[in-house]
Amino acid sequence: MLKQPTVKLRKELWERVKRCASLAGYSSPEEFVEHIIEKELAKLEDAETDEQVLNKLKGLGYLQ
Amino acid sequence: MKRVKVVPGWLLLAGVVCTLAWPGPRAEAELAYIGPGAGFAFLGSFLALMWAFILSAGTLLIWPVRVLWRGRRRSKALRKARVKKIIFLGLDGFDPGMAERLMAEGKLPNLARLREQGSYRRLRTTFPSLSPVAWSTFATGVSPARHNIFDFLNRNLKSYLPELSSSRVNKPRRVLQVGRYRIPLRRPTVELRRKSIPFWKILGEHGVDCTILRVPITFPPEKFDGKLLSAMCTPDLRGTQGSFSFFSTRQEQVSYENGSRYPLHRNGKRITGLLEGPEHPFRENARPLAVPFALVPNGKGGEAVLEIHGERYPLRLGEYTSWIPVAFRAGPGMTAYGICRFLLTQLEPDVNLYVTPINIDPERPALPISQPTYYSAYLAKLLGSFATVGMAEDTWALNEGAIDEDAFLEQAWAIHEEREAMFFNALERMRRGVTACVFDASDRIQHMFYRYLENRASGKHAGAVEAMYARMDELVGRTMRYADRETALFVLSDHGFASFRRGVNLNTWLVENGYLALSDGAATAGPYFKGVDWSRTRAYTLGLAGLYLNLKGREAGGIVAPGAEAEALKEELIARLSGLTDPETGEVAIRRVYATNRLYRGPYLAEAPDLIVGYGNGYRTSWDAAQGKVTRKVFEDNPKPWSGDHSLDPVLVPGVLFSNLKLAADDPGIEDLAPTALALFGLPKPGHMEGQVIVETADR
Repeated sequence: MLKQPTVKLRKELWERVKRCASLAGYSSPEEFVEHIIEKELAKLEDAETDEQVLNKLKGLGYLQ
Repeated sequence: MKRVKVVPGWLLLAGVVCTLAWPGPRAEAELAYIGPGAGFAFLGSFLALMWAFILSAGTLLIWPVRVLWRGRRRSKALRKARVKKIIFLGLDGFDPGMAERLMAEGKLPNLARLREQGSYRRLRTTFPSLSPVAWSTFATGVSPARHNIFDFLNRNLKSYLPELSSSRVNKPRRVLQVGRYRIPLRRPTVELRRKSIPFWKILGEHGVDCTILRVPITFPPEKFDGKLLSAMCTPDLRGTQGSFSFFSTRQEQVSYENGSRYPLHRNGKRITGLLEGPEHPFRENARPLAVPFALVPNGKGGEAVLEIHGERYPLRLGEYTSWIPVAFRAGPGMTAYGICRFLLTQLEPDVNLYVTPINIDPERPALPISQPTYYSAYLAKLLGSFATVGMAEDTWALNEGAIDEDAFLEQAWAIHEEREAMFFNALERMRRGVTACVFDASDRIQHMFYRYLENRASGKHAGAVEAMYARMDELVGRTMRYADRETALFVLSDHGFASFRRGVNLNTWLVENGYLALSDGAATAGPYFKGVDWSRTRAYTLGLAGLYLNLKGREAGGIVAPGAEAEALKEELIARLSGLTDPETGEVAIRRVYATNRLYRGPYLAEAPDLIVGYGNGYRTSWDAAQGKVTRKVFEDNPKPWSGDHSLDPVLVPGVLFSNLKLAADDPGIEDLAPTALALFGLPKPGHMEGQVIVETADR
C-alpha cells in the first residue's frame, strides 16, 4: 500500500543509465529515469488551465 | 463462554508509542492538500491505521538492529570527520556592501570579530540572484540547470500560465460527482520540483545528524535521516502564498491585490465577522469554509474581547494577539487546523481588524511541513506555536496599507524570535552533526524599508535597515558561543540588496520592437498574456529575471525554430537589450543579458529561461511585466513600500560568507558550501556536484 511503484529495466540498460546519469548532471540514476519519463508525460498530458493556479501565487511578495 | 484473548498492555503501549513516533510513509501519500481545487483525505481510515500499527510493530522489532547499524555508519563517517559540528547561519539578503560599511563603523562587532578570527568573503550568488534559486544551490551544490529552480515561477508550456516553480499539487485524478458534491477517490499529492540531492540527505545516509530549519525550497519536506522544517513556498491554509484578511465596519469598495476585505457587522454591543479559510473540499461553487467570530469592545479605551470557537482573547488597539488556533470543519472528522494573529488597528468611529494569513497549524498540520511529520508538532509543543507559511512576514499587508510600518516590524521580529528559539534549541541539543537555519527578517526589512536608505522616505523607521543589521550581528554573537574548536561556523547570505526605484516592462519593449504581438487593435495585454497573439510572438517575459523565446516544439504556440533561428534571435536580443537606457533618468536599466546555455550545464537546462536579464542598479522587472502584462510604458516608477530588491544583475548583488575557518578560496560561490560540508565530515564530493571545497583543513 505504501510501497512506491517499481519499474524493471533490462540490466544492460540500467548499467548505461548508471554510467550516464552523473555525466549528465543527475544526482542518481533514479533521477535520470524519472526526468525522462516526466518529459515524455508532459507532452501527452493535458495542460492545466485552471485559473486557480493563479490563486496559489497570491501573497508572494515579489509579484503583484 | 467464548474466551477473549487480551493483548498485553505493554505491547499495546509500545504500539501506540511507535505509531506516534513513526515518521510515516511518504508525506504526500499520508496527508491531503487542503486548498484551492483539492479535497480532504481521510486521515484515519481503518486500513491506514492497521498498516501503521503493523509497521510500528515491525519498527519496534528491528529497532535494536537499526541502532547498531546506524551507530556503525556514524562511527565510520565520524572517524574521517574533520569537525564534530557544522553550523550554517543563513541571513537572507544580508548585503556585503552594507556589512562592510557597518563593520568599518564599528556597528557589527561580532561579524568583525568573526572576520578577524577566521575569514570573510563576498559570496557569488546564482543567476538569477533569487532566494529559491540560490538556496537550492546552497543545498545541492549544483547550478540551477541541475536542480531545476530558475525563479519563483515557471511558465506552463501549454497554457503560458505561471506555476510555482518549487512545488506542484497534483489533484486527485478520480473524483465521484454526486449532485453538487465531488468526492475525491484518491488523495491529491504534493510534489517537490527541486531536483538533485541536498547535502543533508547525503550526510544523513552516513549517520550524521542534521537539523535543517527554514532553508527555502524544502516544501514538501523530503524524507531523509534527519530533521527538517519547511520554508519558502509553504502555502497558507487557503493554499496561497499568504493572503491576509482585513475586516471593517466601514462599507467601502476597496480591494486588495493579495489580501481580502470582509465586512464587520454591528449587532448591539457585539461586532461580528466571518473568517474565511480553505475552499469547501466537497461542494462545487460553495463558499469557502469559515469560522464566525465576534468583537466586544469592553468600554475601556482601545480594548475589546475577541470571541472565537468559544474562547475569549483580549484585544488591545495596535497589539497583536498571540497565535490563535482556528478550525475549519468540512464534515464529521474532517477539520483543517490553522493559526493566525489578530490586530485591532482601529476601534472608533469604525472598527478595523487585520488578520494574518492563516498559517498551517504546526501542531496539526493539514499538509506535511516537516520531516519527520511530527517534528513541527514537537517544536510547537516545546517552544510555542510559530509561523509556518513560506514568506511569513506580511509584506503585502504593508504594501497595501492594511497595516502600518510599526505593525509590520513587530510581526517580522516576532517571527524572527520564533526562529531564534528553534535555532538555539537545535544548537543546545547538537552533540555532533549539522544545524542549518535561515533567517528572513534581513530580506523582508530591506525589501520594505530600503527607500529610507536613499532618502526617498522619512520617518521614525529611517534606521530600520541599520537596526536590522545590528540585530543580526547580535544573533551572530550568540551563535559564536556554540562554535568551539571542533565546530565549523558559516554565516552566509544568498544574495545582497539594491534599490528598486524603477520598473522595466520588457513585454512592452518587446511589443514596441516587434518581438511580441497583441491581438488586433489591442494596445495593452494581461495579466498572464491575456490578449497576446502567440502565432506572431517570438519572445516574452514572465517572473523576475527570465526572458523566453516562443520556441516551436516547446511552447504550445511556438513559432521560433530551435537551432540557428533561436540562437540568432537570442544574440539579437542580447545585443539590443544590453545597455538599454532609461530615457527619463539617463541611467542604464539593463547592464547585460546572459544566455543561460552559456551560464550553466545540466539536464534541466531546457526548463530554464533562454535569457537572464541583468538589470542595472535601481531597476528591476516591473510589477506588471512579472505577471505577463503589456502596459503602455516601458519604464515606470516603483511607488510601493517594497523599495529594495535583488532581482538585478547577479554580479551587483553577491552575498556574504563569514567563517571561523580559514577559507582557501578567494572567490567562493554559494554552490561550494554543500561539498565543503561533506568534506568536513570526510565524505567525497559526488560526481554531479559542481561546487568546490573551500576550507583549509590542514590547521585543524
